[in-house]
Amino acid sequence: MSALLQVVGVTKRFRGLVAVADVSLDVQHGEIFAVIGPNGAGKTTLFNIIAGVYRPDAGSVSFDGQRIDGQTPEAVCQAGIARTFQIVRPFPALTVFENVLIGALLRATDLAGARAIAGDTLRLLGLWERRNQKASALTLPDRKCLEVARALATAPRLVLLDEVMAGLRPTETDRMVAILRGLNREQGVTILLIEHVMRAVMALAGRIHVLHHGATIAQGTPREVTRDPRVIESYLGTEAPV
Amino acid sequence: MIASLIAATPRRALVLLALLLAALITAPLVLDRYLVSVLILVLWFAYVGQAWNVMMGFAGLLSLGHALYVGLGAYITAGLFVRLGIGPLAGLPVAMAAAVAVGGAIGWLGFRFRIEGVYFALLTIAFAEVTRIAFDHLAWTGGAAGLFLPVSAEASGAWWNLRGGPLLFYYLALGLASGAFVLCAILRHSPLGYRWLAVREDAEAARALGIDVFRARMAAVSISAALTSVGGVFYAFYYNNLFPGQTFDISRSIEMILGPIVGGLGTLFGPILGAFILTPLGEGLIALTEKAGINAPGAKAVFYGACLMAIVTLAPNGLWPALKKRLGIAEEEA
Repeated sequence: MSALLQVVGVTKRFRGLVAVADVSLDVQHGEIFAVIGPNGAGKTTLFNIIAGVYRPDAGSVSFDGQRIDGQTPEAVCQAGIARTFQIVRPFPALTVFENVLIGALLRATDLAGARAIAGDTLRLLGLWERRNQKASALTLPDRKCLEVARALATAPRLVLLDEVMAGLRPTETDRMVAILRGLNREQGVTILLIEHVMRAVMALAGRIHVLHHGATIAQGTPREVTRDPRVIESYLGTEAPV
Repeated sequence: MIASLIAATPRRALVLLALLLAALITAPLVLDRYLVSVLILVLWFAYVGQAWNVMMGFAGLLSLGHALYVGLGAYITAGLFVRLGIGPLAGLPVAMAAAVAVGGAIGWLGFRFRIEGVYFALLTIAFAEVTRIAFDHLAWTGGAAGLFLPVSAEASGAWWNLRGGPLLFYYLALGLASGAFVLCAILRHSPLGYRWLAVREDAEAARALGIDVFRARMAAVSISAALTSVGGVFYAFYYNNLFPGQTFDISRSIEMILGPIVGGLGTLFGPILGAFILTPLGEGLIALTEKAGINAPGAKAVFYGACLMAIVTLAPNGLWPALKKRLGIAEEEA
């Protein structure tokens, strides 16, 4: 069985600065895969390449066997990859419901169908009570939830989550972990996440990929990765918070 | 579509709308000719304001050259009528197609080459100005000397050629303004309408949700241009004379967009409210200065400028959102 997402030898330079260097990874159907690494390691750049924001200078990205590198962000989303932004980008003047409705319109054949999807997604993420609030009026944790809800409303097969736990309180993190796990198990959504909150990474990820200065320094199961001396040195510190 | 829209609208809003419509239908029975002419202007500005609002209010595209589409609609139908005897009903599709083509060209240039925000606005001004100069030199439509529609035919009562008295134009303007309101209400609550809002709020985030930003923007420009050109047809046959320097002038573009800004960008009732506030005040100011014997041709522009400044500082979202709350008809989603 081939991987759902296949990144092969991807390199991206910005004016000579190598942001991502020859990175390869496979995300299998139905797994939760984490990309970790220090700030500036190239994680978000890698996400932007997968999501169609940047065209890689070398290498390829395939989704479900189809090449998607160099395609537009809208085409990548239509193909079934939804993403959240590290710095959340809700539609501020629209209500929470409208935000999610717009995501749901991608797959729904009519407005009534989209409304139903939006309602279900909002309930799933615990935002239903806030549906009539303007997105700009939400607190940061709620905006993070909205970002996830909006992406999920597009009914993706793979969702790219860029630091959705950052800024959440521990109880909120646990809640988000539970939501993502449920989504993965019950609806079979494959998840690729960038995360600094190791507590969440350890709770969720089946496999972890570690980037440092744009290059892969380790990959494997959480157990393997957290014992890797190079990972400990460059990212986790001497004692891994497991 | 309309049924679900009506169902989602608060009952109070529907009653108020029905009352307003009834008042406007019966207004000519009680108003004199001058006041009817003012109301025609109000409705005209409500109509073109609504059309402009599709671009700016819904899709977030600032056009400062909407006089271009008014001029195209006016000149094409008037030219076909005067030169070839083709009536405005037959000329209308030609005018709309031309407006969509020109709007599409501006949109294509702007969106393909990522000319955004104020630079896009400059592009719209440039196109309007170039077209004005072109029509200044186009002999077929009379050039700078103007194009005149046969006024004698006005008495013939050939309403299908838009020849008739003020009442014909009054009810036509009312029909246009009401029709545009309903059309925009449908658009605003359609999938396309939601995509426009997403693009207006954050184009990058919209793309990440699978929205083709280019297509959404092109749709907004095309619909807005087509609707505005219909306003131009009305303009030509109502005034019976066209001069490029007036029809395509940037001051007209500005006057068209003040109503929606004052009323509330992106709202459905904003363009109507804005037209009802600004146009009578502007016309009243002209009447006052004339009566006082003051020759102040720029008075209206100064007044509009003051209104704009007041709105931008006091109620940047326009007057309609506040008024809506006061009337108790704020709608809810879901």
